[in-house]
Amino acid sequence: MTTRRRFALGLGVIVVPLVLALLGPLLTGEPGPRATSFTLGGGHWLGTDFVGRDVWQQVLLGGRTVVVTALAATALAYLVAVPVALMSALTRVRWLEELLMRPLDVLLAVPSLLLILLVASVLAPGAVGLALLVALVNVPDAARIVRAAAGEAAARPAVEALRMQGESRWRIAVGYVGRSALRTLAADAGIRLTGVLYLVSTAAFLGVGVAPDAADWAVMVDRNRTGLFVQPWAVVVPALLIVALTTGTNLLFDAALEKNQTDKRGRRP
Amino acid sequence: MSGLRSFVARRLLLGALQTVAVVLLVFALTEALPGDAAVALAGDQPDPARIAAIREAMDLDRPAYERLAGWATGLLHGDLGTSLTSGRPVAHYIADGFGPTLLLATLTLALLVPIGFGLGVLAARHEGRLVDRLVSSVTLAVYAVPEFALGVLLVTVLAIKLAWLPPTALGYGTDLLAHPAALVLPVLVLLSRPVCSLSRLVRAGMVDALASPYAAHARRYGVPGARVRYTHALPNALAPAVQQLARTVDWLLCGVIVVEALFVIPGLGTVLLNAVAERDVPVVQGLAVVFGVLTVVLNLGADLVAHRLTPRAGVAA
Repeated sequence: MTTRRRFALGLGVIVVPLVLALLGPLLTGEPGPRATSFTLGGGHWLGTDFVGRDVWQQVLLGGRTVVVTALAATALAYLVAVPVALMSALTRVRWLEELLMRPLDVLLAVPSLLLILLVASVLAPGAVGLALLVALVNVPDAARIVRAAAGEAAARPAVEALRMQGESRWRIAVGYVGRSALRTLAADAGIRLTGVLYLVSTAAFLGVGVAPDAADWAVMVDRNRTGLFVQPWAVVVPALLIVALTTGTNLLFDAALEKNQTDKRGRRP
Repeated sequence: MSGLRSFVARRLLLGALQTVAVVLLVFALTEALPGDAAVALAGDQPDPARIAAIREAMDLDRPAYERLAGWATGLLHGDLGTSLTSGRPVAHYIADGFGPTLLLATLTLALLVPIGFGLGVLAARHEGRLVDRLVSSVTLAVYAVPEFALGVLLVTVLAIKLAWLPPTALGYGTDLLAHPAALVLPVLVLLSRPVCSLSRLVRAGMVDALASPYAAHARRYGVPGARVRYTHALPNALAPAVQQLARTVDWLLCGVIVVEALFVIPGLGTVLLNAVAERDVPVVQGLAVVFGVLTVVLNLGADLVAHRLTPRAGVAA
């Protein structure tokens, strides 16, 4: 398949869940009275869910949390990772560099879902807490990748020249080294967003960071499983939307990455 | 040789540090949080008697560093503590859930290696042609899908619409080997992501290796294609794949937790989720340490093997 066609395919796959997630909450009317659990028909296009709510309305409402939490977590992860990586790449103080990066190496060893469940056993994190946790889990890996790209740029003679010209550290870090690392950052962002979407929805499925009856696609899949035999739509529709969202993100970024292919040694297996 | 030895020493040191960090992190996240832990753990039942009981059971009157020291010494002696809710030793919980999880992990790994390598080699052999495009697109798409979404869709189609397989392992207890049909869907779902990443990696390595001058030279000598592929090209595609195999441990762990919840399999993941739901901190801590240390050890092993395969590449340590 050509890159252009793959790009189109990715767009086609992601557009439905993305539009539903972002515009869905605007399209829902007033929630109607609760009907019987797990019924089909009766004025409900996709039937009713485990507490008798209209499934279509829940579907419209349920995408926003997944998408917004994932985007916020990705942004937060870079907000911490990029400054740490740039500082560590540009500092000439060996112990500071070690101090910044070594703890992250150690953190990499902890399985991500485990860390989230650990915190969930003591606190009951809300959506904000979940975003913070997922961001925290992603910081070590993101910092390592940005650090590798920035380290290469920081070793160039141009940086030495800028230093001798008396340019400020800020200018060198942001204006030159940061800009050089931007391409790697963009490539990493797609892979990271895919991973974050996976983690956010899986955590929600396991009941972390969401109310037990929340309008959230992953929660819908979990809570409506009991009625799978009588009313499969309450599970199948949100599950398909999650599949389309994650697959589409991955296809789209992969095609975009190949389009301006520069670094052939991408991390993606 | 000294290079190899110093690499091994450094990697072992990192592994030891990671183990210590896992223990410290588990303790810090579960016990050293601000506020009164006993009140937080009592949760929905803020009954003074229960709060007092939790405080007593977890020794919350003692300072944090004393509790950490006591817990860590216990860990060194293999004592993981006792459950808050049932009073049973945590080790019993782990022993109970160990069988099904080990079975799932073994089956998945045993299938993952041949399928992952097979698909990767297949795609590389037909590079650019229909088979390759098909394998590459499907693996790329499935790679990103969360296990629970894929799982419920497979259950809906294969177990409920077609009634080919049981939808859950409910009622089979821990003796899953006697009911192989109940294992098909869980293993299939667990395999989905690691197979994709492994086969993509093998494909990329094989494509590079087959295009290299030494492979072309071997062909010019008249070495048969299969021999070029399997004895010359494949070993070079192996090193990154071995490392990836270790990284999938993290995924397998996430996957096992989700799959056990989805198919109602009474393994370690279910034990962990129940303990999280009941806020049974000692059980959560014990399981987290076991899982964390396992991940550290497997990553360590994979890095050492990968280093042995390609001493030039230099693995992060």
